[in-house]
Amino acid sequence: MSDSTRHVPNGAERLLAQYGLPLALLACLAAAPLLPGAGPVLLGLAAALATGITVRRLLDRNRAACGERTLLSEQLVQSQKLAVLGELSSGIAHEINTPLAIIDQEVELLELDCGEDVPAQTRERLEKRFRSIRSQVHRCADITHGMLQMVRKAAPVRQPAALPELCEDMALLAEREAMRREVRILRDYEKGLPEVDTDPPQLKQVVLNLLVNAVQALGPGGTVRLGVRRESAASVLIEVRDDGPGIPEQNLDKIFNPFFTTKPPGQGTGLGLSVCLGIVDRLGGTLGAANGPKGGAVFTVRLPVQTTNSGPGPGKEREEAS
Amino acid sequence: MNETIRVLVVDDEDAFRDNMTDLLNRQENIQASSAPSGEAALEELARESYDVILLDMLMPGLNAHGTMRAMQERGLGGAVIVLTGHASVDDAVGMINLGAYDYLLKPCTTKEIVQKITWAREWQKLQAPVG
Repeated sequence: MSDSTRHVPNGAERLLAQYGLPLALLACLAAAPLLPGAGPVLLGLAAALATGITVRRLLDRNRAACGERTLLSEQLVQSQKLAVLGELSSGIAHEINTPLAIIDQEVELLELDCGEDVPAQTRERLEKRFRSIRSQVHRCADITHGMLQMVRKAAPVRQPAALPELCEDMALLAEREAMRREVRILRDYEKGLPEVDTDPPQLKQVVLNLLVNAVQALGPGGTVRLGVRRESAASVLIEVRDDGPGIPEQNLDKIFNPFFTTKPPGQGTGLGLSVCLGIVDRLGGTLGAANGPKGGAVFTVRLPVQTTNSGPGPGKEREEAS
Repeated sequence: MNETIRVLVVDDEDAFRDNMTDLLNRQENIQASSAPSGEAALEELARESYDVILLDMLMPGLNAHGTMRAMQERGLGGAVIVLTGHASVDDAVGMINLGAYDYLLKPCTTKEIVQKITWAREWQKLQAPVG
């Protein structure tokens, strides 16, 4: 659920919700002596007001609870979906890696057999084709290795980390790609943030992936904003916001699915965001995607400052069979 | 420096095993043979001595883990490099804890394999008792 769909009560509403019942009763009781004969009516009015306010308060609470339940069940469905796809992917990746290795070997043997007795022009043409086959084999291998990485159970190794420094390291790495594309990366790190109990290498992978995705979504002159700020005493947010075309509404619920990509063929495996989601989930946080009010995509990593030793989310328990 | 390294390729996938043996035999200083299973590998190792064993992780019957345990129990030598189509850090750690030299993920290039074989041979020589 996005923030824009959540009802945020204003000051008067909050006051009314909190003190509405006693205020209404007090007002009616105070007015009763001034309007002789109107006592029962005023009391009735007070009761009606109180009932209305109570019902409204209950409805608000129910709406908030429903919202949270929807959010939780969406996350659960996403986790379960990932787990099932992960199981499938792992099996497929395993079955595909051996044939890929054989194709690679056959091409290598052909290259070796394509000796001096083959005319130079033909050999050149054949070598070009061999290179093409091998590059496609390696492309497939990248995908299968990505699939295996996605389901690999990598238990986080936790240590306190300063998120602005961690994010800055990744911003510097992504900046090489950004400069080539004439994209700026602006930083906004809140000062005095607490250190977060996390797995720095895994979190770095997430931040780098989000930054590179953002940079690649932009053309020359685009801007990526990388922010780290405290959300509450218990949680910290990392936000990667770009001013690109944003995520089409129909893709918002698909972008964390394995293999979902909008990049041209051969330029993205569609596994990056699902790997990120798995990592953030294991770190006890959440990863969200939305479109900003002025356009552009916004990815938010929400991390607890201190983690309890709760187990991994659904689908994260599986151990690879040997 | 130019000693011949004797390598045993153990893999249940015929095409992979035959190609790997062929590619290794085309290297200057490698002499490779093959076995289609863990059980066949144990028989071959009892007959001939090998410097390096390329062992497939998943095989019907004895897998890499079982084959390596049996090698140790029977005192059959050779540095083991595990080859697999399945990436799992836990598997790799398990095999290395058991005494394997290294772990390679398929598909990998012959160059990578030859390099590992050379290093494994050096490592194996360092493990051998002096004198």
